[in-house]
Amino acid sequence: MPTIEFSGKQLEVNEEGFLVHPEEWTEDLAAHLACKEEGLDAMTDEHWAVIRFIRGHYEANGSAPMVRSICRTTGVALKRIYELFPSGPARGACKLAGLPKPDGCV
Amino acid sequence: MPELDELEARLARLEPADFERGLAVFRGKLRGAEASYLETCVRCGLCADSCHYFRADHELKSIPAYKLSQVASVFKRHCTVEGRLASALLGAKSFDRAMARTWVEAIFGRCSLCGRCSLNCTTGIHIATVLRAARSALAEMGLVPSDLQSVVTQSLESGNNMGITKQDWIETVEWLEEELQTAVGDPGARIPVDKEGARVLFTVNPREPKFFPLSLQASATVFHAAKEDWTVASEGWDLTNYGLFTGDSVQAGAIADNLLRSMQRLGCRVLIIGECGHGYAAARWEAPEWLGREHGFEVRSFLELMEDYFREGRLKVDPDRHQDPVTLHDPCNLVRHGGVCEPQRTILRRTVRRFVEMIPNRAENFCCGGGGGQLAMARFQAKRVQAGGVKAEQIRRSGAKTVVAPCHNCIDQLMELNREYRLGVSIKTVAEIVADALVFDQPVGR
Amino acid sequence: MISGLQIGVLASGVWALGLLGALHRRAQGYGRRELFARAAGDPRKGVAYAFGKGMSPAAKESAREHLPTWFAGVGYHLGILAGLGYVALLLVGIELDGMLRLGFQAPLLAGALCGTGLLVKRAFTPRLRALSCPDDFLSNLLATAFVALAFARTISARLDAAFLAETMLLLLWVPVGKIRHCLFFFTTRYHMATHFGRRGTFPPASFPPRA
Ligand code: SF4
Ligand code: SF4
Repeated sequence: MPTIEFSGKQLEVNEEGFLVHPEEWTEDLAAHLACKEEGLDAMTDEHWAVIRFIRGHYEANGSAPMVRSICRTTGVALKRIYELFPSGPARGACKLAGLPKPDGCV
Repeated sequence: MPELDELEARLARLEPADFERGLAVFRGKLRGAEASYLETCVRCGLCADSCHYFRADHELKSIPAYKLSQVASVFKRHCTVEGRLASALLGAKSFDRAMARTWVEAIFGRCSLCGRCSLNCTTGIHIATVLRAARSALAEMGLVPSDLQSVVTQSLESGNNMGITKQDWIETVEWLEEELQTAVGDPGARIPVDKEGARVLFTVNPREPKFFPLSLQASATVFHAAKEDWTVASEGWDLTNYGLFTGDSVQAGAIADNLLRSMQRLGCRVLIIGECGHGYAAARWEAPEWLGREHGFEVRSFLELMEDYFREGRLKVDPDRHQDPVTLHDPCNLVRHGGVCEPQRTILRRTVRRFVEMIPNRAENFCCGGGGGQLAMARFQAKRVQAGGVKAEQIRRSGAKTVVAPCHNCIDQLMELNREYRLGVSIKTVAEIVADALVFDQPVGR
Repeated sequence: MISGLQIGVLASGVWALGLLGALHRRAQGYGRRELFARAAGDPRKGVAYAFGKGMSPAAKESAREHLPTWFAGVGYHLGILAGLGYVALLLVGIELDGMLRLGFQAPLLAGALCGTGLLVKRAFTPRLRALSCPDDFLSNLLATAFVALAFARTISARLDAAFLAETMLLLLWVPVGKIRHCLFFFTTRYHMATHFGRRGTFPPASFPPRA
């Protein structure tokens, strides 16, 4: 398994950069991944709102939320999501939120 | 080297009986056609450049004939007298642990089953079909990479490949219906669910409701503009079928049956497969073979239907809305394997100002690199992105700003290529392009 | 007078044809696939395309981009055909003369050169060599030697025995090694073309396929 180094620790990720052990996630890591994996300059409040919601949903239900819930809950418009996360909600936002890779065509 | 640790463990556990079962399944996949394919290769090597893997890495293991010969050598050794008697001379090899590993690496790891080599083989071997038969053997032996298998399992268990609940699906459809009404300025615009007796049953890829609903909204906009009598199903609405990629026909048949049961339940006349290459090939071409019966209804691609709308004058578009050059990607399963080639071109020529073809195109297109279940197999990601470099180069040379891809699987790979190769293009479905250009009779608040 | 070698050639011809027939039955013995999906195109048109325009080097990128190899292959096969025709003539006791002899010599010489060229290519291109099994070399050697000896025999009748012996060896090997593609080329192409014809991929909407 490949690993990434973050604040002195080796974290296991799969070949596509999704965390192997989602419980190792922290908000600092999200900020780090945002810049390294997603090429974002800085995390805005909108980014955080989306990521915290996805993370909370994952911790409660063990799965990624529907994009509809993300929009409804955070108030971020649908089209805006794709601007915030150029790789999209799955390979972008869910990865930053420390979720394992979702099944399906993503 | 991609890590094969967990697969290694499965390989290590294989018993002689597992190999026997794998071989039996493989033989069961063969008919006169495949048996003939397995006898024909002359190893001229001319198929090498037809494979995007080889074009990208120039490695022996990426040559289609190499992959084919790994399978053919097992066939010779286990299914022919001469191969058993003169194995070294004829290149016949035993199906053992090492060979099973070679198959996994060659056929799951370096092949998207795109079929481009099949059209380029000097002698006419349909190579991709033989490789898929080999995947079936690996599936029987429990050697499908676990992340690919888990997509199939998810479909079997939940009825769609992302495990979306019925409630989540319906709520998303309702939400999109509201968005549609706002977008077209018509509170009467509908996305009908479970409308019995509707002419058209429309099916979607779960990634649309889950993460990318704009394409679904665009399709709905087209239906609305064409005044189609259509519906989506509350259950059995997922057009994907990853059983096509694992090669397990029993599971693939069970997944395909979800769609057929929706058709029966709702009594629709035409099953429309949304923009998806493998979904089309699976439902249109393979499902009848997996299930051993003819469909009692028509199965068509959404592209063919949209082409009808244009021909019948049911859609009015303003091509000036798309001024930048637009190019088109030909999904292998839709075009080469599926035979749907011209409708998307007819549509685009009417909908955009500057349509430029990629070179090569149509049945000669290069795979985006994401086909054959590659996107689901994380362990082969680096190879997939490297092999996708061929497509990235095609896109760059087309000079287009927008790449239209009538396949969600391809779109995902293209998004990754866009980032990795810094292409700076936007990637859309055909329906999104059409929806953006639609002109409605009455003025609407867009 | 029929010589022992001539009988040998005839016998190996019978062996080759008989075994090719058996191979054909073995392959087709796997049965026909019953198909349930409705056809979109006409399989017969697919077959007509595959054996017609589809054979042209313009139809396939693999041929277009590798014209020297493609032409070498064509030259090689024409040489082998000429060689077989030449054996047949010798067996019924016809010696070639004048223009007719030249008409055989040209393809034989070209074929021998092409065959040698392909053999050298196989031996010295690392990837192609790695792809090959011993049979690939043996089959090429036997066929190239056959064409070369046919050419030599048109010049000197003293090589009669060597040529006929080589013919025997070749014919004996035909059904065992990869030269069986003289049969399977046709069945494979037929099956592939039927498949793509049904699906509407063959024939392509325009020819040559617009690149
Ligand atoms: S082109 Fe066909 S015959 Fe030639 S090496 Fe490739 S698979 Fe074999
Ligand atoms: S099917 Fe496609 S990916 Fe697989 S070997 Fe052939 S050309 Fe390569």
